[in-house]
Formats: sequence, C-alpha cells, structure tokens
Amino acid sequence: MIACLVIPGFELRAALRSRPRLALAPAALAPVPGREPLLGPVTAAAEAAGVRSGMRLGEALATCPELVLVEQDPAAVEQEWEGVLRRLEDAGFAVETVDPGVVVFETGGVERLYGGVEAALVKALASVGAAWDPRAGAGQRRFVALAAASVARPGQAVIVEGKEEQGFLEPLPLSLLPLPSNRYAELEGLGVRRLGELASLPGGAVEERLGQDGKRAWSLARGGERHAGANPYRVRGRSPAAELAETLSFPEAVANELTLRRAFGVLLDRLLARPERGGRPLRKVAVSAKLVGGGSWRRTATLREATAERGRLRAALGSKLLELPAPVTELRLEAVELADHVGNQLALVPPEGAELDGRLREGLRQVRASTGTGSVCAVVEVAPWSRIPEARALVVPRDV
Amino acid sequence: MTSTVSRAHAYTRAAAGRLNAPRPALVESSVDGTPTLVNREAVTVVREEWRVVDRWWTDDPVDRRYFEVVLESGRNVCVYRDRDRGCWFTQRA
Repeated sequence: MIACLVIPGFELRAALRSRPRLALAPAALAPVPGREPLLGPVTAAAEAAGVRSGMRLGEALATCPELVLVEQDPAAVEQEWEGVLRRLEDAGFAVETVDPGVVVFETGGVERLYGGVEAALVKALASVGAAWDPRAGAGQRRFVALAAASVARPGQAVIVEGKEEQGFLEPLPLSLLPLPSNRYAELEGLGVRRLGELASLPGGAVEERLGQDGKRAWSLARGGERHAGANPYRVRGRSPAAELAETLSFPEAVANELTLRRAFGVLLDRLLARPERGGRPLRKVAVSAKLVGGGSWRRTATLREATAERGRLRAALGSKLLELPAPVTELRLEAVELADHVGNQLALVPPEGAELDGRLREGLRQVRASTGTGSVCAVVEVAPWSRIPEARALVVPRDV
Repeated sequence: MTSTVSRAHAYTRAAAGRLNAPRPALVESSVDGTPTLVNREAVTVVREEWRVVDRWWTDDPVDRRYFEVVLESGRNVCVYRDRDRGCWFTQRA
C-alpha cells in the first residue's frame, strides 16, 4: 500500500520551534515578502478567533487585533523537515517528499517487519514524534492515501481498502484536489462541493469548462490518477541528503556585499576540504542565512554538471547573496546532494577549429531556443577611438 | 555641505543597442560636485576625475564630468554628471 504522512501547517510549526510560547497564542505565518498579502498557516488559537489560512492580512488583523505574525523561516523549515525525513528513514521507510509537511512512502517493504500496514503507520507516526501532530493515511493510490491522512486526527492512521475507495472519497471536500483557488470558487458556484459530485459529472464537460487541471482533478476524484510523471503504484524513495554543511556566525549583523562574499568563499573552502566528501563533486548546493530581524533566507542551486571547482561554485551561488533581504547574523553553506562519481571523463585532445566552432554554435543555438529571438548578439566596434564610451561599439542581434 | 539628488530619464535600448550605455543613477554630491553617495551607498574614495566635451558643433553636444569612485562595499564605480541635462549616470569608462 501507499502511505502518506501529513503535518498540517508545517512551515508555521517549524518557525515556532524557537518560540514555543507562541504556539498557544493567536499567531500566523506572515505573507511572503513581495507577494500578495495572504496569511500562511495559523495556530489553533488564531483559528478559534476567526482567522483562517489564506485570509488577507488586513482582514485577519481586523478580525483578531492581537494576532502575532511569525516571519517566514525557510532554513528552519528545511532543517526540521530533513530531521523528520531522517527519522522516517531510520525506521526503514523509503520516503518521497511531496511538500514540506507531506511525505509518501510504500509500506510493502516494512509490513512484515512491523506486523502489518497499521503497525507500520503507527511506527511512522511514533518516529516523527507526537510534538508535530502527524496524521497518517494509506490506500492503493497516492491521492487516496493523502485524502485519508488529511481526514485523520492527530496521531491517528486511517487505512482505506481498495473496494472502499469510492465511498470514502465521495463525501470529502474539493479542497483536497490540486486546483488553483479560483477553480474551487468556480466549482462551488456550479453547486459542486464534494469529490463525489465532481466524479459524477461527464469528463468531457469538466475538461471543457476547467481545462487540463479540471480533467486531472476529475480523474483523481474518480480513481484514475494515471497521468504522466506520477505513477500511482510507485513511490520513488529519495537518496538521503549529504550531511555536509559549514556555518559562519558573525559577531554583529553584516550587510556588506564584500564581507558576505568573503565569508561565502571561506565556507566554500571549508566545505570542499571536508574529508567526508571523499573527492565527490557537488550536485546540489544550498546557501542559507539567519536574518537580523528574525526569520531566515535560503536559496538552492542544482548544478547542471556536478563539480568541485571553486570558481564555478562561486559563480553559481555567489550572485544569490545579492538577493539577501536584510543583514545576516549567520551564513550557512550546505552540500545537499553529492554526485556518485569521483572523477570526470576528460577529452584526450581539447576541441579546436571546426569542432570548437560547432560546439559554440550549438551552445548559442540552445541559448536562443530557450530565451527567444534577439537574445544572441554580437559586439561590433564602430568607433573604438571615441571619447564617448557608448559610441565605441554596438550590440547587434545575430542569427546563429 | 549642500546636496543635490537627481534621477535621470529611463534609457531605452533598441534591438541593435549601444554597448556600455549609461544607466541613470541616484547620486548625492557635495558643494564642489564630487559624489558622496551613489545608489544609496557611501563613497569612500574618489580615485579619478575627468571631463569629456565633444560634439559641441552638433545639436546633441556631450559635456560630462566623470568620477571613478570606490564605494563602501569595495566596488569600483564610474559615474558622470551630464551638465546639459543635469542628471547623473553610471557607466563603465
């Protein structure tokens, strides 16, 4: 069976780990800076005061003036979620993350170890820990497992057998479906509020009205789920993340770009010198920071070609430091994923002449294909002697 | 010390554009016209200063006072004041 474990409001819970008192007060995760001012997950006390997740900030503060806004803390979310996944992996589950707070895994490999599906789910819940209020569900399909986990109470496991699927899904709300928020309102306007009501509609009509997303949702509600990219019968367990990280704490908050770049260089040197790396190049790297006003910042880069070259890693991640929204008190560099190989196959004869031209042409063709016409330009010198800098050369679009 | 703040017109770039086109900059300057703040960053040192006067015989004359400065972050920046338009720009000289 496929099992799903859900921790509702994980981002808020992770951000509140350092301020546990707020968990009992009306609090909500602050909106992401620069985006629509909509609240993230809210605490039970805030919910009791009438505040809902996804509510506009102004409306929420008018409803509950004592509402505390908790800063987004992506680094804490990543760290806590990694801890949850590791505890599940230690219990023998090959996990696949859907989102922070939602994970799926197969119970097939551990049922005999723990004595059945239910015992395996109880073990999974116990390994995550009661402090997170996890809920578990299991079914023959991912969506059923997710739906079962979503209706379970904290610490409870709900198992849905194949023949009970349709009856189980029918009364559930549409909010379980992966649809844009305006689609829910559209469906509600049409009088469709439950999965069963959506499933009873003709597929062609749903697709015509709601497009591909609607067709997929309809298919999930009916028990289809056979779409490209997600095999309902297979969960791909992740490769455990590399435990390689280097941290630098500053005596006082730093916003100076030069200092940050130097600190980043030091962290990179330390990370590359770690013996645990065993000569393996880095595939995925993350840089994160603790911000001075609370909260954190994190950026991840997956390298097209795994490398351990200092210059290339600096180029890939160094520019991200410019996106830092506030002065930082701590900078952290993490090797999220290492490549399996230790060496690169080098060319015996370096390319030159026609071959080099061909490669360059192909590279430019790919750039143009991905960024559009006019993106590849040539520099043409028109008056290199001019005293006016912008009169010396022109940039002319070039067809490769 | 008096200070002046100027924001220049947006500079548009055509399909076949100029390389190293000047970009509008937010500059505060001292009474002698030396920049003290470039794009909200303090100037540490003014390394060099020069003037470019050209095309005075045309309808589009050039009269610029260039400054090469080092900012607080350690970056080297070249800024100039267009004396006809009274605006500040950054440009690699």
